[in-house]
Amino acid sequence: MKKIRIKGRREFGGVVEAEALVSPKPLEGFANVDSMQGYVTERNHPLFKVCYTGKVLVYPSPRGSGGFMGFGIGAVPAAFVHTEGNALSIACALCAHIPSMTDFETDPMTVIETGDMVLVNADEGYIEITKKNG
Amino acid sequence: MFLNDEEKRMLNGEMGIVPQKCMEYLQDEGEAAGAECLIDLDGTADFHTPMTAMSYRYQFGIEELRKLVESGARFKVPVFANKSPFLEGKVTCVHGWKGCGMAPHNEEEYHERCMQKEFMDLYRKMGMMTIHSCDYYLASTYWPTKGQHCAWNESSALPWVNAVLGARSNIDGNFASAFLGKAPAYGFHLDENRYATVYVTSQRTISTDLEYDLFGFAVGEECGLAVPAFANMSRPTTTQLLKLHSAMNTGGSIHMYHIPGTTPEAPDMEYAFHGQKPRQEYMVDDARLKKAYETLNYHTGDDVDMVSLGCPHMTVVDLMYLARKLEGKKAKVPFWIMTIPWLYHIAREQGYLEIFEAAGANLMTGTCPAAMGGVPEGVKVLAVDSAKQSYYITGRYPDDDRRLQVCYGTQDDCIEAALTGKWRGEWR
Repeated sequence: MKKIRIKGRREFGGVVEAEALVSPKPLEGFANVDSMQGYVTERNHPLFKVCYTGKVLVYPSPRGSGGFMGFGIGAVPAAFVHTEGNALSIACALCAHIPSMTDFETDPMTVIETGDMVLVNADEGYIEITKKNG
Repeated sequence: MFLNDEEKRMLNGEMGIVPQKCMEYLQDEGEAAGAECLIDLDGTADFHTPMTAMSYRYQFGIEELRKLVESGARFKVPVFANKSPFLEGKVTCVHGWKGCGMAPHNEEEYHERCMQKEFMDLYRKMGMMTIHSCDYYLASTYWPTKGQHCAWNESSALPWVNAVLGARSNIDGNFASAFLGKAPAYGFHLDENRYATVYVTSQRTISTDLEYDLFGFAVGEECGLAVPAFANMSRPTTTQLLKLHSAMNTGGSIHMYHIPGTTPEAPDMEYAFHGQKPRQEYMVDDARLKKAYETLNYHTGDDVDMVSLGCPHMTVVDLMYLARKLEGKKAKVPFWIMTIPWLYHIAREQGYLEIFEAAGANLMTGTCPAAMGGVPEGVKVLAVDSAKQSYYITGRYPDDDRRLQVCYGTQDDCIEAALTGKWRGEWR
């Protein structure tokens, strides 16, 4: 099966492989995430109440309150993969202590679809995608 | 990330467990950010209490904090408390809790537990000024000056420190930075990240409070993490800046921007972009503002059960205007007004509190509905004049059998709703 490898920068180290859950819209924490259930509670959000626990959570960028770190506590994903980051995604990664990567040579949002298998090797600085329909 | 000898000694534990924990966090934060080194803060810091670290994985207990304080340790820079202290993920009100009508916030025992006096006494000994507000900087009587390095932690406050004051901060205020007076050198601490990258203009000149709120929400959604420069704005009031900032950090995550001719790092548009071409250009037309208005309105009828104003917390001028509007009036539905704890006493002295109470409104401080965890039992429709409050509060009610609806509009729309129980707001 064809694998696609993309180099990126680690925010927090570790290696894990899991199914991807892709958020087409930036994620928002604080009252718009339920950390214990592991899902978004933001109205109008495409991932409203879709559980991310144990998935590689793929999203374009963090937004909103410092409570973004809600994604990094409780029923956490397996890893974070995001196009751009700032202090919000950093604090989140440092709460979760799970592999977290950003600043890729190719935007992962253009490659990964929900259901693809993604190996996140934050220690060596790459992700490897196995397409579900590949 | 490079650490100097003293920083390495802290990391090795040679200077005690608390400096070690703090340095572990700063090192991990710096590595995550791709920072080359730590910088020394010369401005101010704030953080959410009572947490002794940004991430629970780096926290230490109150016993260690007590030992630290007894040893004479102090914060390196002036430090302020953001919002009321957290208890189990929620923050209660400093004032107005008795009359808020919402359990458990209106219970004395719960209130006392929430205020975490033991922690706050220790923090005050270290030099923290416990204002407890998301916009504490409006009551703090002390601001960092242009170019000073800070560690602030409130999304709606970040544009104030960066864009309005020209001081420098990422959204990373925490105990470690406040105590050691250090933060990783990345993001908005560095010149190259402060220039505008995106040019934003609008069909109408952004002038009213509602327009600032809607424009901020739309720009946040469109611009993500960029540094926008705004081409068609009036000279904003303080209240309008608060709306712009909180809305930009609800729709998106904008911690730095420029209004050429108004903000300190942009005498003109060309300077804002540092001579570079904009990476993108956006036009926020009236249809885009209307789309934001419709997103922020989330209701099916015109009945209103409750009104909440003051997100971000009201300034003294907001309180004065509101008292003027409410004098001699009587609210039909529960009516919360949120402000900064240090302004509660001023509101009493100036006579505003008496007016609010006579109007059936409850002046509260240090928190907001979304931060308290919701609204009183039985409220089905809440009216607000804040994009931030509108967009977050429904996140507390994700279940179909317990949805909360929100009416969003101008402050006058909300006041009318408070007095009549009916929503008359509409897009204009």
